[in-house]
Amino acid sequence: MTHSNSQRPNDLKWYPRSWRDRYGADLEQFLEDKYGNDRIPLKVRLSMVYSGTLERLRSGGIVGSSVDPGFRVRGASLLVLCAWAVFIVAGSAFAKYTEHWPLATPQVDHWLPAAAMAAVQAAAAAGMLIVFAAGLTCLPAFVRFIRSEGWWALWPLARPMTFSVIAAGAASVGIVAWSNHLGPNSTTPLGLRIAGVLAGLAVTAALAVSCGTLIAIVYRLRFSPRVTLFLGALAVAMTAALVVIFAGVLTWWISTALHAPWFFGSLVPRSAGTPAPLAMIVLGLLMLSGLILAGVGAFRIAIFRSHVGETVPSLST
Amino acid sequence: MQESGKSKGLRRVNDPPLLILTSLAEGPKHGYALAQDIGEFAGVHLSPGALYGAIARLEERGLIEALPEVERRRPYQVTAAGSAELSEAMRELRRVVDVGTHRLGLLQGRLA
Repeated sequence: MTHSNSQRPNDLKWYPRSWRDRYGADLEQFLEDKYGNDRIPLKVRLSMVYSGTLERLRSGGIVGSSVDPGFRVRGASLLVLCAWAVFIVAGSAFAKYTEHWPLATPQVDHWLPAAAMAAVQAAAAAGMLIVFAAGLTCLPAFVRFIRSEGWWALWPLARPMTFSVIAAGAASVGIVAWSNHLGPNSTTPLGLRIAGVLAGLAVTAALAVSCGTLIAIVYRLRFSPRVTLFLGALAVAMTAALVVIFAGVLTWWISTALHAPWFFGSLVPRSAGTPAPLAMIVLGLLMLSGLILAGVGAFRIAIFRSHVGETVPSLST
Repeated sequence: MQESGKSKGLRRVNDPPLLILTSLAEGPKHGYALAQDIGEFAGVHLSPGALYGAIARLEERGLIEALPEVERRRPYQVTAAGSAELSEAMRELRRVVDVGTHRLGLLQGRLA
């Protein structure tokens, strides 16, 4: 039978290549048999989006146990890397939100939130060091990959990252240049505020694309079981750092809401304020989602670390 | 994700792996034939995503195996391990059916 519907191949794009190689033709034929020239119902297409995404997560070792334990530990470590990226976004917004906090609240109300803030900063610095150590650990495998495949093998992966980083950089430079033209006492114009939000979104998108690119590259590298285990240990350490950051932010938030609630309101000392401003709720939820990702990753590393080096039998084609 | 049949009540046994093994117990079938058969005997209409997801898991676990492709359709058959697994599942279901039937009889006796 022929492909009468040109959309058919697109319906399978959600599935990983290895899955498509094995089941793709059969599934296409299934769709042909069932729907012929008719349009595939939206519900069925959504089921394939869901199923394909799940298969991608499986093939990446992030869910299930279809791939070798070493690959599962690698997938779980990359999940923790994603959680760190989420924390970078939330943490940057938190740093911006709290930049006037030491001046806006009296010293007598400071000791607990100050300790919490110090813990957040120390854990964030530890997180940066962990990422740096992970990068160094991956370097030899990366060099081997470049030697065997060449730089051009990376370009299709790195292209979206390059463009998104350039766009985010240009947007950030533009915002800084614009704000430098304003006088010290002038209010921020609405246009600059909107541009600031857009630049923030561009930077967030660039971070997400970069994270995705890193993941795609790391999946192509060959690691020894020892390196895989070390990366897993770094990911667990990163999870601990993220727990400290989250606990620190929560402590800072609660103690500030109790002792200096005006910081979340008019900034006028001893005036009224809301204990739960929208910005903190959004930041808290963002960090919580990151923490859940990291927790899942650390849990899977703990489960599979003792099996690294073992293989699962592959299916014959 | 699966498209259920007319009834979503207690009568439906709609676990895709169980339905696939049950269907293949009759003989090898490809994906479309499996979906048709399952729709007929269980009233459950598996979506392509649910069907092929379950096929992939069953194959990974060695409970079914692929046969050579025929006109772009790949038939699957139950393995010995799959047969043992299905047999165990049937025993469990039978226990539930037996207990349920017995207790239902008692209940109907009390209600009469």
